[in-house]
Amino acid sequence: MADFDAIVVGSGMSGGWVAKELCERGLKVCVLERGKSTKPTEDYTDMMDPWEYPNLNRVSKAEEQEHYAIQSSIYNWSADTKHWWVKDSEHPYETAEGTDYTWRRGYHVGGRSLMWARQSYRLSAIDILANKTDGHGVDWPIRYEDLAPWYDYVEEFAGISGQAEGLDILPDSKFLPVFEFTCGEELARDRIEENFPTRRMIHGRCANLRRATPEQQALGRGSCQVRNKCHKGCSFGAYFSSVSATLPAAERTGNLTLMTDQIVAELEHDAETNRVTGVRVIDRNTKATKTVTANIVFLNASAIASSLILQNSKSAENPNGLANSSGMVGRNLMDHVGGAWGSGRIPMTPELADKYTYGRRPNGFYIPRFRNHTEEGDGYVRGFGYQGGVHRGGWSGEKSGVGKDYKASNRSPGDWYISMGAFGEILPDERNRVTPHPTKKDQWGLPLPLFDAKMRQNEINLIKQASTDAVAMLKAAGAVDIRSSEDYEVQPSRPGNAIHEMGTARMGRDPKTSVLNKYLQTHDIPNLFISDGSAMTSSACQNPSLTYMALSAKAAKHAADFYEAGEI
Amino acid sequence: MTDFLMMQRRDALKSLLAISAAGALTACIGEGKADGASAPKLSSAPSLSTAEMALVSALGQTIIPMTDTAGAVEAGVPAVVQTLFTEWGDENYRTYWRAGLDKLEKHFVKEGGQKFAAMSASQQANLLGRYDEKAFADNDFDPFYKDMKSTIATAYYMSEPGATEELAYEAVPGEWRGCVPLSDQPKTWAT
Repeated sequence: MADFDAIVVGSGMSGGWVAKELCERGLKVCVLERGKSTKPTEDYTDMMDPWEYPNLNRVSKAEEQEHYAIQSSIYNWSADTKHWWVKDSEHPYETAEGTDYTWRRGYHVGGRSLMWARQSYRLSAIDILANKTDGHGVDWPIRYEDLAPWYDYVEEFAGISGQAEGLDILPDSKFLPVFEFTCGEELARDRIEENFPTRRMIHGRCANLRRATPEQQALGRGSCQVRNKCHKGCSFGAYFSSVSATLPAAERTGNLTLMTDQIVAELEHDAETNRVTGVRVIDRNTKATKTVTANIVFLNASAIASSLILQNSKSAENPNGLANSSGMVGRNLMDHVGGAWGSGRIPMTPELADKYTYGRRPNGFYIPRFRNHTEEGDGYVRGFGYQGGVHRGGWSGEKSGVGKDYKASNRSPGDWYISMGAFGEILPDERNRVTPHPTKKDQWGLPLPLFDAKMRQNEINLIKQASTDAVAMLKAAGAVDIRSSEDYEVQPSRPGNAIHEMGTARMGRDPKTSVLNKYLQTHDIPNLFISDGSAMTSSACQNPSLTYMALSAKAAKHAADFYEAGEI
Repeated sequence: MTDFLMMQRRDALKSLLAISAAGALTACIGEGKADGASAPKLSSAPSLSTAEMALVSALGQTIIPMTDTAGAVEAGVPAVVQTLFTEWGDENYRTYWRAGLDKLEKHFVKEGGQKFAAMSASQQANLLGRYDEKAFADNDFDPFYKDMKSTIATAYYMSEPGATEELAYEAVPGEWRGCVPLSDQPKTWAT
């Protein structure tokens, strides 16, 4: 008899959802987390005032260079957030010659659901049809209508702030109240939409509890206190993470077992019955190995780690790893492409001069995709969206002046500034992949990841237009002193830089060209499911976590249905 | 899971830190090339000397004097500079600060006939004001000075009197209002 009904590998964004759903269906679930436990009272650093930080909250250069050469380039890097990121010195990886990859992650309960930027957007029917329409990649085995009820479901639980707009390119979610625009954003929106009638500037949609519902409060979550300290961990549980939401929901069923410090080395597979029977794990600290058995296995370890676990699970019958008869495991690695951005000052108007803001909103504005939708794109397929904000400048040590006048100039709010940056869609391409390194291993004896991914012509053409479009909209908003990616030769961001890695075990209709079916079940092995970013058949240009949540809830339902019916 | 918005939206505090740290690194490399072997040998003591601290304090207080609220010295800025020097910085950082302070002191001795800390407040304000203007008009004039000023300003506006008395600070705003009259909120938010 197996130890558990189900094993979920990974406790982050998607694993938390699978654990919750399976536990609530009555299954005994074991969540395996390779990192340490997360204790909000000890690990969250959101209750410090600025003057309590040693050394202005800076990480020393020596420590950065020795341990965090890659991770330290994250936008919210500081002494009180560094513990959320892995030490590169302990967790190296390799890149193929002539390529580059930025892999940022944290090893702890909650994974990157603790560090994410919480932007939450549905994929549209147009996105789900994109591969079929233009012939890149393979067709998704589901349609928007299959996903929509699962979006509804996860949104009401997670809590997404936003405003309904009725756009076909960006379907509305089930929204909590919106975080209102600043007065500068209202002005910029009016000017941009007047100049570009086929573009919209809407409120950002974010997984912060603008007003916590009774369902959310029952899990110990409270409304957002508008501190913008999310990346330190939120003691109010006001943004969605598996630590604040899904794992507590799983825990209260009494069906959850959470094992930390357990690195999954490989899946165990019974060739005779063609079932996975469990996983072999290595204790992170003692390096002792053991096997945990279950009747169902879910991989939710991230697009990189899940695909490596499959590729490392080799046998005589499966020389390329498990669930890999298509050869697609580890391929079609996608992210989002950035590199198009701009900012500028909006000259003061009488209305703006007299206005300011209260609170530190953890959100901004969003400009949904318009290229290859309401407007043609110049030499590429798919599109991009922008995130940005309009804020009044604060104090600055970067301007001239000394003495009382300088001090006084910082005491009153300054000019209004607008900024925006694009996220563009990356095409699925079999050449973009991650594989186990043939010789190099980590301290647990597991092969290092070897990345071989590039931004290609479609991404380059797309991001160039995103750059010129950004500047045109900044100008339309009335901005001056514009600084932008146009000031340089426009370059696509490095693969991985958006921390949206996905696609390495894609869903599809044909077992010969895809890894997962429409149930998120591997084509090859009936009791093996994957519902992290690996499953994505195309990337769209929206931040993907909300879709991982919906896919995970959907996958867990199917798995539980099949299990109850005795089919797996 | 990152997003550009947050990249741009991080509070002024953090962005200043990043700029200042990056500036320190590049400027540091430039410094080594420019000064070369002819420069007199500087101290390699692990902490800033009394004389160096007097200069830092005088520069800080001239940039941010006491008014109806604390100045840089009352807010504890010199101590933050010293701790960054002794605990946070590496050898490059210490060399960079030491050389930068030395250059400033020499300039003011030449211009004003005595050490900066010994000058009258009005002479300090006059000489430093002119120096500051040049530094912000020409990026190559003295990158160290701009880094130092940024560090002093950050240390001041992150301090308790700087954040809560000179500026406005709310640890837990509890609510978001995107468009409020300035008369309700006339002071800059510290964060």
